[in-house]
Amino acid sequence: MASALRSKISNGERLTPEDALVLLQKTSLLDLAEMANEIRYRKNPDPAVTFVIDSNPNYSNICVVDCIFCAFYRHPGEEGEYTYSVDQMIAKFKDSAAKGVTTILLQGGVNPQLPLTYYLELVRRTLAEVPGIFPHFFSTSEIIGMAQVSGLSTREVLKQLWDAGLRTIPGGGAEVLADRVKKKISNRKGSSNDWLEVMREAHAVGYRTTATMMYGHLEADEDIVEHLLSLRSLQDEHRGFTAFVPWSFKPGNTPLEKIIPHYATPTRYLQILAVSRIFLDNFDHIQASWFSEGKKTGEIALHFGADDFGGTLLEENVHAAANFVNKTNTEECIQMIHEAGFDAVQRDTLYEVKKRFPRTVAA
Amino acid sequence: MISAMSPRDPALHPILEKVGRGERLSREDGITMFRSTDVVALGQMANAVKQERSGDAVYYVFNQKIEPTNVCVLTCEFCDFAAVPGAAHAYEMSLQSILDRITPEVHEVHITGGLHPTWPWEYYLEMIRSIRQRFPDVDIKAFTAVEIDFFHKKFKLSVQDVLAQLQEAGLSTMPGGGAEVFSERVREKLFHQKIGAGPWLAIHKAAHRLGIPTNATLLYGHIETIEERIDHLLRLREAQDETGGFLTFIPLAFQPGNTGIKPTHEYTSAIDDLKTIAISRLMLDNFPHIKAYWVMLTEEVATIALNFGADDMDGTVGGEKIAHDAGAQSPTALTKERLVKMIREAGKVPVERDAFFNPLSVDAEFVVGKIPYLNSVPFYAFFDSPEEKILPVVPRRMGILARKKEIISGPFSLMDYVSIENDFELMEFCIATRDQVKSVLLFSKGGWRDLEGKRIAITDDTATSIRLLHVLLEHKYGVHAEFVRLHPGVNDLRGFDAVLLIGDEALHCNKYGLPGFELVFDLAREWYEWQKLPFVFAVWAVLRSLPEVRKASLHDALKESLRRSETSMAWLGAQHGKRIGLTAEEAREFLEGFNYHLGDREREAITVFKKLNAQVKQILWTLNS
Repeated sequence: MASALRSKISNGERLTPEDALVLLQKTSLLDLAEMANEIRYRKNPDPAVTFVIDSNPNYSNICVVDCIFCAFYRHPGEEGEYTYSVDQMIAKFKDSAAKGVTTILLQGGVNPQLPLTYYLELVRRTLAEVPGIFPHFFSTSEIIGMAQVSGLSTREVLKQLWDAGLRTIPGGGAEVLADRVKKKISNRKGSSNDWLEVMREAHAVGYRTTATMMYGHLEADEDIVEHLLSLRSLQDEHRGFTAFVPWSFKPGNTPLEKIIPHYATPTRYLQILAVSRIFLDNFDHIQASWFSEGKKTGEIALHFGADDFGGTLLEENVHAAANFVNKTNTEECIQMIHEAGFDAVQRDTLYEVKKRFPRTVAA
Repeated sequence: MISAMSPRDPALHPILEKVGRGERLSREDGITMFRSTDVVALGQMANAVKQERSGDAVYYVFNQKIEPTNVCVLTCEFCDFAAVPGAAHAYEMSLQSILDRITPEVHEVHITGGLHPTWPWEYYLEMIRSIRQRFPDVDIKAFTAVEIDFFHKKFKLSVQDVLAQLQEAGLSTMPGGGAEVFSERVREKLFHQKIGAGPWLAIHKAAHRLGIPTNATLLYGHIETIEERIDHLLRLREAQDETGGFLTFIPLAFQPGNTGIKPTHEYTSAIDDLKTIAISRLMLDNFPHIKAYWVMLTEEVATIALNFGADDMDGTVGGEKIAHDAGAQSPTALTKERLVKMIREAGKVPVERDAFFNPLSVDAEFVVGKIPYLNSVPFYAFFDSPEEKILPVVPRRMGILARKKEIISGPFSLMDYVSIENDFELMEFCIATRDQVKSVLLFSKGGWRDLEGKRIAITDDTATSIRLLHVLLEHKYGVHAEFVRLHPGVNDLRGFDAVLLIGDEALHCNKYGLPGFELVFDLAREWYEWQKLPFVFAVWAVLRSLPEVRKASLHDALKESLRRSETSMAWLGAQHGKRIGLTAEEAREFLEGFNYHLGDREREAITVFKKLNAQVKQILWTLNS
C-alpha cells in the first residue's frame, strides 16, 4: 500500500481522500517525512527555510461567537474586555516597526460594537503612517461580522478593504472544516462553507491569504481529510493561498479543557504537517511553527515537509490566554533554522525574499 | 523495508547499504552520520534496526527515584544537586524515609546520590537489604560506577567485594550514570574529580561478570566533539562485545542550568538529540535497548525519538531531583496514562517492563508475539500487515501475556499452549525439529548420569525446554537434579554443574563455547534418538474470540511470509546470522533444520510429550539472585 502511494507521489499524481486516510492511519511517521520531503524539495529545492518578522496584536477581545476552544474572548461589558482605538493601534504598530517588524497579523474578536469605518481606517492609516509594515488583517469571521454590522455583503466589505489598501488576509478561524465538528466547537461561528466562501470571494478580488487548521479536539481523521480536500479544491480555482498552517488546540482555560485536557502530541503534529504537504499539491508553502508546538518540535518539523517557520510573533495573546507561551527573537529564530540544518531566509508576507542568513557548518 | 529507502544525503548511501546487510558501522561512518543534516534518513535506518530488535514495543517502568543524600565530597562544576556537608539545603534520608518513598505500584527503585563523607558501608547494605525485605517484588537499580568506586576506596574493599555484597543484599541492576564522555581531554576540563573511562568500564565489566546487568550513558551537548562522542560509543560497544552485560544505552542531553559549564548552546537542539539517539542505535549494534530519557530530552523530543530508534521511555520517574536542579524543562513525574498516550500516538505498543526488560503488561490491541530467535525469523521476515503490532518476547513471558490475553497470537511454547487451549486455537504453523536443532542445549561439566543431585542453571526464557530436560533426565536417565532459574541478561554461572540455554544464546555458545562447561547435549537430538519423533517447541495459536476475518488475514500474512522465507533461506541466513556470530552458511543450515508446518508426525510428538510430561512431578524452582 505504501509503495503504491510512493510511486503515485514520485509520478506527481494527485492523491485521493482515501489515499490521505491511508497516510494518516497506516503509514509510519518517517515514511511520511520522506514522501513530504520529496514534494517539498521538488517545489522548493533550496535547502533554506523562510521566516517573517511579525507581531500578532489584537485590537479587541470582545467577541460574541462563544467558541468552546477559546480562552481569549470576553463578552461586551465583561470584566477584562478591551477595545483599542485606531490611534492606540497605530502607536503599537509604530513601536513594532521600530523593532524591525515587517508584518502585522491583526485580529480581534467578533465585536458588534465597531463600525466598518473603524477597520477601513485601521488599514488606511497603517499604510499611510507606518512605513515598512505590511498589514495582514482580519480573519473571515471578522469580515462576516463587518458585513452584518454594515448591512453590506462580505464581497462588498472585501472590496472596500481592498480599496483601502489591504492585500492579504490571515487564514485563521477555519478550525476543522467539517460541519459535524464545527457544530460542536463553534456553533455560532458559521459553517465550513462560510469560511470557504469568504476566502473564495477574497481570492476572486485578488487577495492572497493563508489557510489554517486547528486540530486535536473533537475531529476524526476523516474530518481532517475533508478539510484538506476543501482547501485543495478552492486552491484549484484561484491559487489564492500562500501557505497552509496547522496547529494543535490548546485546552488551557477553555470550556473544552474538561473533555480534552492535553494538547495533541508532537508526533501527531509532524504526521499532520507531512500529510498536508503531500496532499496539498497546489500549495507552494507549508508552515511549521516553533510557536504553536514548542521550539523543539518546530525545529524537527522542518524535516517533515515544511519550508517556512512562520513569524517571530513579538506579541501574541490568544495562545497566551490558554497558558501556552513561547517567545523568541529574530536571532533565536535564525539559530533554530540553522540548528535544523537549513539556511534562514527572512521573507515578507507574500514570501518575497528580504535577506538570507547562511548556515555556517560546524567543523 | 529498509531497501525502499533513499536518503537525500548521498553520503549516507554506503551506510544504508551496510545497515541493510547487517554490517557493523565504523568510526568514520559514525562521524559521517553526525555531520549529515539528513535526520529523516538517520531516523529511518535507526527505526529499521529498532523494529528488528524490539518490534513495535516501547518499554516503560513504574519507577521511583531515590536520592538518599545530596551531601557529596565532590564539587563537580556540572552539578547543581550536590551540597557540602552542613550547607543549608543539605539533606540525608533515614532508612524509614527511604522505605516510605516506595508506593505499591512501584516496580523499580533507582538509587543514586551524593558521595557522603561519613555514612558507613553497613548503611548502604542495610538500605538495599531493607528494601529487598519489605518489597520483594521491587527491582533495585542502585549506585553508579562513581559511587561503587567511592565505596571501594573509602571502605577498602575490592570493587568485586563491594558489588558482591550489594548483590547479596538484593541489588538487581546498576544504573549507567557517571560515564560522562570517555575523553581525557573533556574529563580534565570538566569532570576532573570523576573516575574516567578506565575505572568506569572496569566496574561495569566486574558487575557483568557477577551477573549484575547495567546501563550505560553519554553526557553530550557541552564541549565534546563529534569524534569524542563516537569514540565513547565505540568503547561501550567493545565492552559489550566482551561481557554482554549492558541492558540499555541512555544519551543524556546536558542541562546547563546554574552549572559552571558554558556549553556552545543553552540546551541541546532537538535535531542534535534525535541524531544522537539514532546514531547510538546504529553504532551500538550489540545493545538491546536505547532509551529516550524524557527527563533530559523533554517529553516532546522523547516521544518523537520513539521513531528514531529509541525503544525505552524510562518510566514515571517519581522524585527525580538531580536533572531538575540543573534546570531540566520536563515535569517531575509522568502518569502512566500520559506515557501510554505518548507511546501510542508514536504508533508503538506501550509495554510495561521490569528492570530486566521483561514485559509485564501490554497496552494495545492486536499484538502478535514474536520469539526473538533466529529460528522464528521465517514467520516475520516478510510479514506485511499494518493492523498487527509485533512484540518480541521470550517463550515463557509470551505464555504469561497470553494467559492475560494481552496478545492475540504467537508461536507459543508447547507447555504454554496446553494451558491456554481454552482461549486459543491452533493454527497450522509450528517450530519443530527435523532431527537436531542446536538451539536447545545443555552445557555441562559432566555426562547425563553425573548430574544426579547437581545444580542446573536454567535460562529464564524457557517454558517447554525445561520440561523436555526434566522428562529426559527423569525418564530417559533416571536422574534427579536441582533447577535454578537465571534472570535475563548476564548471570554468574560459577557454582553450577550444567546450564540449559535456548535460542540465539544457545546457538552462540554452541559455536564459541561456554567456558567451564565442556560437554554440549542437544536436547532435540536426545529426544529424537529416544522417541524417533520430531520435537515441537512451539505451536502457533490465535485467540478464539478474534473475528474470523482477522484470523484469516493473520493466517494469510504468516503463510505468505513463510512461503517467501522458505525460498530465500540463504538470504535470511546472511541477514540474521551475523548478530549471533554465525556465518551466512551456518545460519542457513540452521534454519533449514526446522519444520514450520504442523503435520501428523508433529501432532503425534505433541501427544507423546504431553503424556510423559504428566508423569513427572511439578518442578520446584529456586531463583538465582
